[in-house]
Amino acid sequence: MPELEVTFTVTVMKSVTLQEVNLNSTLCNYYFFSVNSKFINMIMQDGNKVLSTEIVTQTLEAIKRKQVEKYHKAPAAEREAIECNPYTIFHQALENCKPVIGLANIQKGSRTYQVPIPLTEKRRRFLAMKWIITECRDNKHRRTHMYEKLSQELLSAFANEGNVIKRKHELHKMAEANRAYAHFRWW
Amino acid sequence: MAACSSSRAVRSILLNCGKYSRTPRRPAHSLNPQLLYRHVCQSAAVWGKNLAAAGPEKFSEEYIKKQIEEFSIGKRHLANMMGEDPETFTQEDIDRSIAYLFPSGLFEKRARPVMKHPDIIFPKQSAIQWGEDGRPFNFLFYTGKQAYYSLMHEVFGKVLAIEKRQDRLRNEDTTDIKQISLTGSRWMLKEELEDLLVETMSDHDYSRFLQLMERLVALPYSSLEEEFVQRFRQQLGVQSSKQEIPALQHDEKGVAFCQANGRRKTASASITLRDCRSGNIMVNGKSYLQYFPILQDREQLMFPLHFVGMLGRFDVEAHVEGGGRSAQAGALRLAISRALLSFVSSGEMETMRQAGLLTSDPRVKERKKPGQAGARKKFTWKKR
Repeated sequence: MPELEVTFTVTVMKSVTLQEVNLNSTLCNYYFFSVNSKFINMIMQDGNKVLSTEIVTQTLEAIKRKQVEKYHKAPAAEREAIECNPYTIFHQALENCKPVIGLANIQKGSRTYQVPIPLTEKRRRFLAMKWIITECRDNKHRRTHMYEKLSQELLSAFANEGNVIKRKHELHKMAEANRAYAHFRWW
Repeated sequence: MAACSSSRAVRSILLNCGKYSRTPRRPAHSLNPQLLYRHVCQSAAVWGKNLAAAGPEKFSEEYIKKQIEEFSIGKRHLANMMGEDPETFTQEDIDRSIAYLFPSGLFEKRARPVMKHPDIIFPKQSAIQWGEDGRPFNFLFYTGKQAYYSLMHEVFGKVLAIEKRQDRLRNEDTTDIKQISLTGSRWMLKEELEDLLVETMSDHDYSRFLQLMERLVALPYSSLEEEFVQRFRQQLGVQSSKQEIPALQHDEKGVAFCQANGRRKTASASITLRDCRSGNIMVNGKSYLQYFPILQDREQLMFPLHFVGMLGRFDVEAHVEGGGRSAQAGALRLAISRALLSFVSSGEMETMRQAGLLTSDPRVKERKKPGQAGARKKFTWKKR
């Protein structure tokens, strides 16, 4: 596992009450970023965190292997463009999968309309992660391992291809189609 | 003659009986000394009086002053009775003495005999708001919330004054722009403001008040009104000053060590942190690599040491029981952080506190409730 330099920038506000400090213990865990630990929790089933951390580490390892293989095979001119750090690939893939706008079911009269609404950063992150995981669970071949499926999906999302990106674009198209109902939103 | 004086005495006694019993007012000249009229205690219902509408009982200022004098005299008597020095007789001593002299078996603490300063016992009331001719003193009396509205007027007047000053000084110089710093304090709560104004207010009123104060504080030259604003702010104590630092001890070889405890869910840990240059960690007699095969748990152990940059310096001897694997790791982490406090400066202690290392995690397993399958899970809902 690569050593990561995580600098703690903590503003020293001496009079901050305890409620304002985040009690989440894994947030301050220095080896994992908060996004990474969220992803692990989302993959986890029946509380088996050991298994889900193993899957994620194997995924990152697989990504690294594939990228290094590509790096060595590529000619010298293209080598700089190939990203080898699995963490940056993971974050960038996640960014690419995040939807900008979402849909909400708003009932007006007897009809339920799909109204385009803005999404918070948390919700966007959650949706991107959820889509990646469900895509890997459902649509892939039964015999491949989860980490294999995940690494494939993440690499294609990094390159802006793949089913998850397609799903994001479909959502955007639906929102664009339902633009007329945007005024139904009251918040 | 004898009948007349006795009837007057009886009448005076009954007049002091309380407000619920009032004798019918008779003008003095029609008092027939031959008649002994019977005083009948009548309730307020007969008089058609709505006692609840009159509000809480009003005490005059002289009455309260008299009570305070009596209290201070009584305090000295009590001190003499108990054989203690009247000058240094505190409220706790009073409570102790009263509990000793008047032992009460009543369960309700508020029903027991109490001797406190009249300011605590008598609720703070506003004085009579109108003069002899019936005209109220304050021009905002008929709003119903005169203290609140006069305060809002005052604050808004200050806002206007500052804005005027800002306009005047805008062309002249910009060196005097000082704003009030609000760190280290918080706005008064609604209850505290109500106590200050001796007037009840609604939540809406309170939020409007806060909005106006925020507006005042946001103006450029607001430091002029700093004193006024600080009156409505409560200072927050420095949180880290309440932290208990475990004592640093030295063993025979001169090695500094520190003992601390930590708890998480049902797990409790007690550790001894020794300041040798080796980084051995022993948990329940086993090496930590053996006891915690999972990386996540070992990271929890290492986190406080890595945070302060003292990874290889300390020797940890830990004893932990109860809970599960993750809870034991969390308990050890808290214990290590607490033990580190005695080796670390106060600035680093503050950053540790901010990182959440010194807070014991309050999450425990929620109890199962009757009528439900679990803590939150309900039984299947059947429509009929």
